[in-house]
This record gives sequence, C-alpha cells and structure tokens, in this order.
Amino acid sequence: MNFELTEKHQLVRRSIRNFAEKKIAPHAAMMDKEARILPEILEELSKMNLWGILIPEKYGGAELDTLSYIITIEEISRICASTGLTLTVHNALGASTLYKWGNEEQKERFLFDLTSGKKIIGFSLTEPNAGSDARGIESLAIEDRNYFVLNGSKIFVTNSEIGSVFLVATRYQTNDGQEGMAIMIVEKEMEGYELGPKEDKMGMRGNQTRSLYFNNVRVPKENILGQIKDGFKIAMETLDFGRIGIAAQALGIAQAAYEHSVEYSKGRIQFKKPISQFQGISFKLAEMATAIDAARLLVYRTAHLRDLNKNFSKESAMCKLYASKVARKTSQEAIQIHGGYGYMKDLPLERYYRDAKICEIYEGTSEIMKLIIANQILRGNI
Amino acid sequence: MPLKIFILIKQVPSYHNIEIDKSTGTIIRKGVNNIINPDDLFAIELGLNLKERYNGFVTVMTMGPPQAEFALRESLAMGADNAILISDPRFAYSDTLQTTLILKEAFKIIQEYDIIICGCQTSDSSTGQVPFQLSEALDIPLITDFFTLEIENYLLKSHRNFGHESQNIEVNLPVLLRVVSHFNSPRFISLPRIKTSFDKEIKIFDFKTFNCPEYIDGNNKSPTKVVQIDKVNLKRKNKIIDGSVNEKIQSLIHLMREHGINGVNHKKLNISGYK
Repeated sequence: MNFELTEKHQLVRRSIRNFAEKKIAPHAAMMDKEARILPEILEELSKMNLWGILIPEKYGGAELDTLSYIITIEEISRICASTGLTLTVHNALGASTLYKWGNEEQKERFLFDLTSGKKIIGFSLTEPNAGSDARGIESLAIEDRNYFVLNGSKIFVTNSEIGSVFLVATRYQTNDGQEGMAIMIVEKEMEGYELGPKEDKMGMRGNQTRSLYFNNVRVPKENILGQIKDGFKIAMETLDFGRIGIAAQALGIAQAAYEHSVEYSKGRIQFKKPISQFQGISFKLAEMATAIDAARLLVYRTAHLRDLNKNFSKESAMCKLYASKVARKTSQEAIQIHGGYGYMKDLPLERYYRDAKICEIYEGTSEIMKLIIANQILRGNI
Repeated sequence: MPLKIFILIKQVPSYHNIEIDKSTGTIIRKGVNNIINPDDLFAIELGLNLKERYNGFVTVMTMGPPQAEFALRESLAMGADNAILISDPRFAYSDTLQTTLILKEAFKIIQEYDIIICGCQTSDSSTGQVPFQLSEALDIPLITDFFTLEIENYLLKSHRNFGHESQNIEVNLPVLLRVVSHFNSPRFISLPRIKTSFDKEIKIFDFKTFNCPEYIDGNNKSPTKVVQIDKVNLKRKNKIIDGSVNEKIQSLIHLMREHGINGVNHKKLNISGYK
C-alpha cells in the first residue's frame, strides 16, 4: 500500500501549480469581480493541453489517468475555482463522456476540437422544474425522419457562455411510440438554439452561467450519444465521475483557504504575539489540516478506483459530500481567522467561501449524495 | 545535421525547506522536496529555444544520486529529447573540480557536441565554478554574460556584457554557454509531455562506463571539502545613535569599522557642512 504520489503525479502537481500561480493568479480576483473568464486564460489553458486530460493522444488529448486529472483540477482551483469548474465540466462531463459513449464518427467529429480547446463543451441536465429529480425533465425531442425536433429549456448551464457543444439530456418520442431519456449533442450553430440571460451568482462567477432554450432545434440522429434509450444511464454515470472533479475543486479551495490562514496567523500580532500562538486559532488550523488530509485521501482513492476500472459510485458521492463540506467549513473558518480583513474583498478569503458553497449544491446536492451513499450501502455495497 | 545541444543541470533541495544536520554539517536531503536548480531552468529554456530556432537535438545531463532522475524527467517534460544520468557512489561528495573531471569523461564518451549550456550557479552550494573549469577541461571557448546569440554555419555570434561595455564576439562551435539568471522565461510543462517524458529511457553513466582514470574519486580526491554548513538567520538589529550630526557620523564610521567595513576614510568625507 503506497500513499505517496508517483513521480509522474508529483510532476503534474508541480507543473500545474507553477502554471496556475504565474498565469491565472494575477487575474483570479478580477474574473470573479467582473464575472467572466479572460480569453487569454482560455488560450493559456489550450497551450497547456488542459482540455483533454483523459482523452487518448490519438484524439489530441494528454492521455493521463484520473488521478492526474484530479490533481490538475485541485491545483487550478486552489488559485481560481471557476477556472477549475470550466475545466472539470469540459473534461469529465463533456469530453470524457463523448469519448466513452460516442461512436467513432462522433469522436472524429468532435474530440479534436474539444481537446485543442477550439470548442468548449458543457453538459446540461438541470431544468427549471427538474433539479435533484433528474427523471422529471420536461425537454422533449420528437422523431422527424432523420432528425429529432427538440423543444425545452435548460437552466444553470456551466460553460454556457463560452461553450459551443452541449450534451443535452432530453425526453424523446420515436415514431413507433418509444419513449425515454436520451443524451443529444446540441451545437451552438443549430437553428433554434438560444442563450438565456446571464445569471448573477454568489460564487464561481468566473464561469458564466446561463439558460439554454431550444425552439424546434432539429438535432440530426447522428448526434444521439450512445443508444437512444441509454440517456439516463449515461447521465448518472457521467455525474458519478463528474463528482470526483467537484470534490477536487473543493479540495483546492480548502487548501488555498488553509494556506492563507497559516501564513496570516503567523504574521498577525495581537496581545504581543502571533495569533497562531493562541489555541483558539491554532486548533482551527489543526482541524483544517486534518479535514483536508482526510478529504484528499478520499478523493485520490476514488480517482484510483476509476483508474483500476472498479465501481466508484459510492465513493464519488462520499468524496463530494465530504470535500465540499470541508471546503465550506475551512473557508468559513479562514475568514474567522482573518477577522475583518477576511470579510473584505481585498483578500480572496470571501471568494473562497462563496466558491465553496456551490460545491455542496451542484452535480447533486449533499442531500442527494447521502441518498446515493445510503442506497449503495443498503444494496449490499457496505 | 541538427545541432547537438547539451544542458547541464543539478537537482537541489527546494530552498523553502532546507534543514542542516548539525552533527555532520550537511544539508538533510531525506524527505526534502527536490527541484531543478532554479538557475538551470534558464539553461534548459535556452537549449530548447536554440533547438527550435536552429534545429537541434537537446540532451539534458546531470550528475547525482539515482533520485536525480526526476530532474531529468522534468527536463524531458519541458521538451528535451534525451537525458543522461551520471551516477555512481564513487562520484558522491565530488567538489566542483571532481565534477568537472567526471563531466570531461562523460564528454569523451559523448564525443560529438556543439553547444553545452550551464546555469550560473546552484542554489545549494553557490560555487558557480563548473562552467569555467569545464571549458578549460574540454578546451572549448566559454561565453558568459551574453544577451544575444545567433548561429550560422557552426559560427556563433554573440553580444555580451563586459563591465560597462558590450562586446561582439564570434566563435566556432563547439562552445560552452553560461546563462545569466532571468535570461528568458522558462516554459511551463504541458500535460501530454508529462506522459511521454516517463516513457523515455534515461541513459546511465557510472564508474564502469568511464573506464575511469585514477584521479576520479569524489570523496577522496576532491581538493575542497565542505566542513560545515550553517543556516544563516538574517535579522535586523536596530541601534539608535545619539549626539550631534558630527558625533553621529563619527560613531557610524566607528561602527562600520567595528563590523569590518574598511576603506571608510572619514577625512575624505565632506562633513564640514554638518555642525
């Protein structure tokens, strides 16, 4: 049993950390404030080949393992969580799903543009009336010769602003009366595709979220991902994997808040000594460090399970549940340690707190995570 | 023929966490995060840049314990084509002269080289002697402090700083280059290169490879030895000097002399204006 990262994984961490600190850090606060991602940052991410981390080289990807992907998301999120979000949705929910379920023609058609960053992809399930209850989606695609005619709307779509390809979950009806849920590849250029207004969010502001409206969008049949009836299965498996990325993101936020807290408490003098010398503060640091380490082990192990091709549904829900809680609590305590300074927008602490909160909500709320874990346990996966 | 470019690097402990073993007077390397010597990153970047400009084949070489392989992997991930690790217990504790002699043996085996690039100095010993010694040992020209480089038909043209002047010099290859710090911006490692860098084979040169002459023995034949390393804690001490301006200046001069700052000639200082 070896808990040390391999040299390859250490090198991933070192190079991504170096890159994020030099190229992204100077813009992170601004992107949060102005609620946009800089085109220059997108270009830098392309230069680093961060758009196809898990995709094989033959489609232009970096062909690294899940743990490398997780470390990448963690390190990017340590500097800028909304850039981490852009990457995790593109890589895990988008490109990897297309790679896993797509046929050869679809892979050829989409993956090169996705791995090069020429096109950014999103995954869209949530609707105004269907969040946790994913089966309740109302979008409907009706078969019409070589097409499905799609109507409906999606809400809170990550990457909607910068994305041009979306994996859209929708109900469908065929001419011979079959019904179910399908995943369709919808492209920005398709007629009837419309982008909704900007959402004004609490956190993750660097990644603009909008609604997508589909008005009689004619989706060609060759854009159906996998078997048409497999939509729900694809969506659930995709989210299983996506959750490890959200957990990694939470881990990065927690790490950043923790590092800031250690530095600040060593330098802040009150009552003639550094506040780190008071147990009221040092115990907070001890709690943070312990929780982050536990979360990290859980997240890395889940990534490792995926690399071993083992089932990780329970573990990915566990690591998202736990890491997002650790991120929220750590960033909250970090503000407390910084006192009034932590509450000011001059320091990134309040951004960490705002960014951390969504990790307990999207890609399945913490409550849904507990349902998934409990279901797995009661089905015998103890 | 592509230019045969060799970059010499060293793996050093990350300076954030250097600790000294008081009993042996050496740096504790166990459990410490090792990195490529920061100055060597500029050498790597220059090598890769020359490769791209003039079509070259870049080999990174380091001497060190087996774990120094990681520094070579990192260099491969940055874009080097090939890597050589010079490693043998008999090379341990080599000082700069022994290191140079071992490198000379390595280049005897390599035979063909056009450009050798070194950084300025290492962060863990700061001697900075190897480039100078190696150019003597290999009997090839060394260019330091350059700020431009052009190569045409194996002729290298360079502008270099020379005191307050600049020199234009031309030399035939092979040549040794010593890159000043911050000469360029070392590139980031992109993810796909990480995978390929670990697939590459790293050549090992050890004592046997060299058919070593007897003058090589790091521990016993190094003319200089590190006796003791101490951690220097830089702390400012404030002292307020009282008195008239003239008295203050006199006490200041006295203090400076006391601290070994000589050459302060108070007679030459024009202090007549301060009364």
